Parts: sequence; C-alpha cells; structure tokens
Amino acid sequence: MKTQRTRLALLLVMVLALTGVLSACGGGSDQAANGKVTISFLHWRGEDTQTFQKIIDAFEQKNPNIVVDMQTLTSDQYQTTAQAKLTDGSVGDVFASFPGAQFEALAKAGLFTDLTGESLLKNYNANLIEAGSKDGKQWAVPYQLVYNMPIYNKAIFEQYGLTPPKDWDGFLKACQTLKDNGIIPIAFAGGDIGPGQFMNTMVMNNEPSEDIFTKVESGQAKLTDEFWVKTLTQFKELNDKGYFQPNSLGTKDPAAGALFIQGKAAMLASGSYQLSQNAKQNPELQQGLLAPITVSADQAKYEGVHTSTFMLAVNSRSKHPEEAKKFLEFLSQPDIAAQYANETGQNVTLKDIKYDSKELNIAQEWADKKTLFQPRYTIVNAENQKAVTNSIQAVLGGATPEQAAQDAQAIIDQQIGR
Amino acid sequence: MKWVGRIIMILYGLLVAAPLYFVVVSSFKTSQSFYANPLGWPDTWSLQNFITIFDAQPMLQYFWNSARVTLFTVAIVLFLGSLISYAIVRLGGRLGKFAFAYFVAGLIIPSQVIMLPLYSLVRQLGWSDSLTALTVVTAAGLLPLTVFTLTGFMEMLSKEMMEAGSMDGAGEWKIYWRLVLPLSGPSLSATAAFLFVMVWNDLLIPLMLLNSTEKLTLPLALMQFRGEYVTDYTMLLTGVVITALPMVILFVFLQRFFVTGLTAGSVKG
Amino acid sequence: MINRKLLWLFMLPGILLYTGLFVYPALSGLFYSFTNWDGVSPSYDFVGVANYKDSFDSITFRKAFMNNIKFMIVVVVLQTVISLVLALVLAKNSRTHVVFRALYFFPAILSSVSVGLIWSFIYDPSIGLLNMSLQSAGLDSLMGSWTGDAKIALYAIAFVQIWAHAGQMMIIFIAGLHAIPGELMEAARIDGANRMQIFGRITWPLLAPSAAIVISYTTIQSFKAFDLIFVMTDGGPNYATEILTTYIYHLAFSNYSFGLASAGSMIFLVLLGILTFFQFRALRQEGARG
Repeated sequence: MKTQRTRLALLLVMVLALTGVLSACGGGSDQAANGKVTISFLHWRGEDTQTFQKIIDAFEQKNPNIVVDMQTLTSDQYQTTAQAKLTDGSVGDVFASFPGAQFEALAKAGLFTDLTGESLLKNYNANLIEAGSKDGKQWAVPYQLVYNMPIYNKAIFEQYGLTPPKDWDGFLKACQTLKDNGIIPIAFAGGDIGPGQFMNTMVMNNEPSEDIFTKVESGQAKLTDEFWVKTLTQFKELNDKGYFQPNSLGTKDPAAGALFIQGKAAMLASGSYQLSQNAKQNPELQQGLLAPITVSADQAKYEGVHTSTFMLAVNSRSKHPEEAKKFLEFLSQPDIAAQYANETGQNVTLKDIKYDSKELNIAQEWADKKTLFQPRYTIVNAENQKAVTNSIQAVLGGATPEQAAQDAQAIIDQQIGR
Repeated sequence: MKWVGRIIMILYGLLVAAPLYFVVVSSFKTSQSFYANPLGWPDTWSLQNFITIFDAQPMLQYFWNSARVTLFTVAIVLFLGSLISYAIVRLGGRLGKFAFAYFVAGLIIPSQVIMLPLYSLVRQLGWSDSLTALTVVTAAGLLPLTVFTLTGFMEMLSKEMMEAGSMDGAGEWKIYWRLVLPLSGPSLSATAAFLFVMVWNDLLIPLMLLNSTEKLTLPLALMQFRGEYVTDYTMLLTGVVITALPMVILFVFLQRFFVTGLTAGSVKG
Repeated sequence: MINRKLLWLFMLPGILLYTGLFVYPALSGLFYSFTNWDGVSPSYDFVGVANYKDSFDSITFRKAFMNNIKFMIVVVVLQTVISLVLALVLAKNSRTHVVFRALYFFPAILSSVSVGLIWSFIYDPSIGLLNMSLQSAGLDSLMGSWTGDAKIALYAIAFVQIWAHAGQMMIIFIAGLHAIPGELMEAARIDGANRMQIFGRITWPLLAPSAAIVISYTTIQSFKAFDLIFVMTDGGPNYATEILTTYIYHLAFSNYSFGLASAGSMIFLVLLGILTFFQFRALRQEGARG
C-alpha cells in the first residue's frame, strides 16, 4: 500500500513538474524591466505590418522609454475575437475598430477613451471621421479611406469605346458591348464579399438617403419597399443577362480578383482598397473607379460610396493611456500618415496628404465628388446585415426579388421584436 | 470479386491524390503560370513562393510553437487519460459508469459554447497569451475523447487478467504501469496519432488564447496568410504545403507505428 | 481486491483539469443563456427563458437546425459505408494495402483550414480543378457552382468532410477486422459459407464495437462540424450552409448576442445528447442481437 501511495505522489509531482517546465518555456512574455513602458497596438491589417513596423521604429527612437508591441488578427477574426481580447486591457492600448456593429458594441462596453478636443483631430478631414463619433463625442478616428465602388479596366473600356456610364441604360449597354466582345463585364465574388460591396453603389440612388437602413432596422421602412425590391431586380437583371461571370455565387474574392487582374473581366465589384494589390500582380493594369448609376442621369444624387474605417482609438482600460495617446498622435502626423498611405497603397482620412502612387491618386480623384457613407455599415445589427446581403444571394440563386425581400424582411422583423 | 476491390482501391486513391497533387504542383508555380495553366505540370519548378514565405514570415517560430504545444498536450492527455480509463474499467459498475459518463459528456459540448467563458477564466488566472495556458486548456478539452477511446479499448482487455494481477498482490499502480499500459500499446499509439493531429491542427482555442505574432501556431499563421495574400493563390497553397509538411514527415514515420500497431497479433494480445 | 480509493486518486488530476477548464466554462455558458450579456459589456440583465423562446422562433435557427440534420445524415451514412468498404478492401496486410491505407488516411492529418482552402480552390467555378476537369472531359453540362449553389453547397461540403475523414474511420474498421479471430473465418469457410454469409454472420456482428466507435464518432463530429464550413462558405449562400455551430458563432461574435448564443448552444447540447443516447441504445441492441 505504502509504495503505491508514494508512486501516486510521484505521479502528481510529475504532472506538476511537466507544467512547471512548460511555464518556464512560456515565461518572459512581459519584460517591462529597465523602466520602459510597453504598449500594445492591435489591428487587422496583416498586409501593412512592415510599414507599421517602420513607423513604430521611428516612434520608439523619438520616445526611448516606450516600446510598441504590434499584434494583428485577420479581419474576419478581428470582427469576432477582438472585443474579448480588448476587454481586459492587456492587449490593444491602441487599437483599430470597424465602423457599424463593432463600433457600437465597443462604445456600449465603454472601451473607448474620449478623444474630443484633442489636438490630433485637427489633422483629419472632419467629414471623414464622423463614423468614429457618437453622442457628440469623438471616440475613435477613422484612419483609412476606402471607396466601395467597382474598379474598372480603363484599357478595355477604351478599346471598345466605352466611358463610365451616366445612367442605368448606359450601364446595361456598356455591359452588353463587353459581353458581345467576349469580355466578362463584371467579376463578382458572390460567395463572400461581392454582395456586401456591390450593394452599396447599387442602392445609393434607389434610395438616396443616409439613414434608410437605420429606418429599416427600427421598422420605419421595409426591405419589401420599392427601393430594395428595385435594387434586387437590378441585381437579377445583371445576372440574368450574363453580365457577371458564370456561377458567380460560387466565386470567392481571390478568384474574382484573378479574373480582373488577367484582363478577362472589365470590372471588379470590390473597392479601392484592392487597387494596389491588383497593380502589384499586374503592373500594366490601368484602373479606375466607377459606380453603376441605377437611375436616370438627372435623378442620380450620389456618384459613389466611401467608407472611413480602421478607426484608431485608445483603450479606456489601458494601463498606459498617456503613452498610448502619444502613439496615436504620432500616427496622426501628416508625414507619418503619408508614409503609411504611400507604402501600403491605402488612402487616409487626413488633410493635405501627398500621394505618390498612381493607385492612390485614382482614389483621391473621388475626394471632391458626391459620395455616400457606405450604406451597409449603417446596419448595426449583424444578423440584419446578413439578411440584407443574403437576399442578394437568394436573387442570384433564382428567387424572385419580391420573395427574397420578403424572406429577409421576416428575419429583420424578428430582430425588431427582440 | 478481386478486381472490384482493385478498382475501388485505385479510384478512391485517385480521389484522394488528385487534390493533393494540385496543391503541391501549384505551390511551385508562379502566379502567372498558375492562371495560364492551373492543372498542368509547371513549365519551370520555381521555389520563389517558398523563399518569399520564409523571408516574410517567422515560419520556424510557428513550427516550434506548434510542436511544443502539441508534444506537451499529447503527453499530458495520454497520461491522465489512460489513468482515468484504467480506473473506470477497474471500478466498473455504477461508479465506473458515472465517471465514464462525466467525461464523455464533454464530447457533446461544442467548443463555441465554452469559448468566451473559458477566455475570461484564463484571463482571470493571468494566463493570457501563453502557450502553456494553451497546452493545459487544450489538454482539458481533449480528455473526453481520450477517455472515451481508451476506455473502449481497455474494456476489451480481459478483466480476469487484471483480477489475477491483483490476486498476485500487485498494486493498482503496478497493474496499470506494468500490465495494462504495455498491453494498451497499440490503442495508445493510435490515440496518440489521433490527438497529435487534432492538437496540431486546432484552430478555435489558439485563436482565442493567443495574441502575439511570435506565439502563433501554424493554422493561425495560415489564417493570417489568407488575409495577407488575398489574391495570390500560389502563395496560399504554398502556405498550405509548408504548414502540412512536418505532419507529413511525422506521419510517414508514425505510419509504420500505426499499421504494425494494428496488426492482428498485437490487438489480440 | 480493488483499491477503490486509490483508483479515485488515479482520476483526480484528470478530473480537476477537466472540471476546471471545461465543465466550469460550460456551466457558465448555461448561466449566461439566461442573460442578455453581449460578450463585451461589464454588465447584463437576467431575461429568464426569453433567449430560448427567441431561439425556437428564429427563422435562422430553424434553417440552421434543418441543415445540421441533413449534413449529419449524409456524412454519417456515407462516411460509415465508405470507410467500411475501404477497410474490407484493404484488410489484408500486404505491402500495397499498407501504402494505400496511408494514402487514404492522409487527408485526416491536414488541418481543416488547409482542407477548406484546398477544396475552395477545387470548387471554384472559373479556375477550379473540378470544373476544369469536367470541361476537358467534355462534360460541360455537369459543371456547376458547387459551394455557390444553394441546393448543392451543403452536400459539397459534406463531401469534403467525408474526403477528409473516411480514411481515418477506415483505420478503426481495419483494427476491428484484425481483432476477429482468423480461425472463426476459417471454420465458417470449411463449413461451406460464402462471402456474404461470412460477412453477415461473423464479420459484421464482430465488427459491432468498431462500428459503434465509427458511427458515434462520426455523428458527434459531423453534428459539431464547424471549421470546414467556417473556412469554405461561412454559412452562405443565403443561409444554405448555416448550421447550428456557425449560427451560434455568428450570434456570439458578430452579432454581440452572447446570451442568445448561449441559449442556442444549450439547445444544441441537448439535441446532441438525445442523439447520442438513442444511438448508443440502438447500437447496444444491435450488439446484443449479434
């Protein structure tokens, strides 16, 4: 008996020892020795880490007592796991957030530090940072500026004597010309990002208002109303006439991008964020942005859609708020923002930035045009957002616009009832 | 009859091999040649994708992270799991059944349910962003499956033999360590292989528990590549190949282990 | 002669680990299912059984539930049959068979992220392996949208699930086959039984324990499926591949309705419990008859 007890004790010790060895290996995560303060910068732009690292190096040189530890998640993961990681304040002293549902939830949870009146705000274009304000206070500053509009291949358009159409008939005619010449008019990633991106420009003139989806969410308007049924009907028209590539619902973002990059498709229903990626893969591409005008030319109120996103903020639970703010101020310097923009190919929301690349200037041309803040992001309930984009998929899959709108409205009605 | 078997064997073999061929071949193509000719043999075998990935990513660090977590987790789970299974089989009766049910109930709990509470628990314990925490948490989550499998196997060992052992005056530990464990060799190695794969490939728990780039495991790294190489198919497929490689090598090595472990003689033991 | 106290001590470390880091979080999930916690805010209110009522009423929940059932049935039936057939074909320990076993098993060692990415490329309608092969074989009419077609998508993913795991289940069947005493087969053969008779009277009944493992593992695994769908379609198109786990995940993490999601998971848990219970019962009876 006794030997057995000893053996068991030994066993427990082994387990503990194993755990001990493990923790020894895992140690050393927080080396805040020698008086330095480490702040964490959490965001989802994995493709921008090299540029950010350079900016961080410069920042650390100027502020030798601060160390910035950058952590990234992919954008899918960011929308889902970031909030849990942010709540304890150990990660993301400075963090980025998406406008819409995520911003609302984080604001409700009180994770933002009020930035109202900070001098850094003066560097930004006031119109473009509204997405980060709520109840009259500025909680976050959107850093990136994206135009959620189809990209088109200028060379192909020129070849067939086309210019960006001014009305719906013109748009259909242009598509037909392209199709007759064996070019896919629109590469559409129906399987993932397509509906969410393309719906914005499709709906902007059918209901030219900033708050139509807010009304839908509160029950004052319905998806079965004319504006959305019309939008769905127009989606169906494009699909039935073969203006998307075949089997568009099975196509994902990369494949749709590939069709455009190879010059097999004349338009790509995504957004300006993809311009520089495309250029990297095919430097010969001549790209521009255009929006389908779904009404007659004289009724068109908006020329395009923009989103200000990558909203930077200081975590209210940060243990080093001063240092975090300093880093945010550094990022808000025009020269740093310009460096970020030019190296990553993303437009920024700051004033008077000089862009060097062709792709950035393509988007910059739209700064003075009449654009609407992305309607999809005004839907703050994620289940509603999904119901809306899914109704587009339903129509492309063969449902009638009326039926699809009704099905989606049923889901939204349940959300209102909750 | 024989040729029917042959045909099935070869057809299914093709079904498994074709996608794998496609992935491996694509990883050696440049983006251009991939789009020009997705199915065919590459005109030139280019290592550029591999070089680019190793340049741009701390791949070795990711490998090491995955290896460490996997090895320790499997060791802990097998050890604790076999102890539990042994006790369950020995106890038998109502108590054994109850203990078995308690563990196996865990099989039906989806990880989505426990993710958030688990995360806040880990945080309260101060274990955020630690590979050790990941190891311990993963081990806890895999105990149900391990107990389920090992108990099933151990029940097949004859009870009389264990009885005889204890008649001879051998203590429980001795029966477990000297008799049951060696006889369970095949089932332990099969379970180990199972667990290895599961831990190595796990996505959800590491996703929740790890933050820093230098601590990512391979599947997380792969998800990150998906974000970084959005329109670059060949780079993504290269990522798939590289992350699978250690498992493949291990599998070739374990394979013998596996099949000899499962031959008639040893199971009948 | 059994030292019960010591045996309980054997279990202690495992019980502590499992209870602390698995059962306890699961119970907190039950607790949250009666609240309206959003998963982020520090505070929440108790809402009674409202979350359960909302779940049962929810259109998306019902869709997800039906999809779950379809997915599970297809995977359990096909995967069990396929892995059994493969096991019978490869039962003998010959060199070729060992190689083929390894090949069949191989997909199981890939992460579901990898498998999902691989098959997303294969299913891609314009540049994917599947459509291109059909085209070059002159079977243009069979070309499809696969994961993009609401009628097919779920089955297309079920197929991938089977592709990834049939070989793994085959190994369990082979182990079971090898456990059948050769003398028994020999004796039956001498008695003049044909192949089908041997299979029906000897192989299948004696294979029951392996079948039990395969079927229950597959049922639970397919009912809990998440990774593949998450990587390949994320529930789309138009909810065609939304299953309960993705529904729960979306609710909890994209829609910030953690309380509601917890209620969904508790319902899910009960369903899975019932399923497992009946299955064990059926299998036990089957085993008793054999």
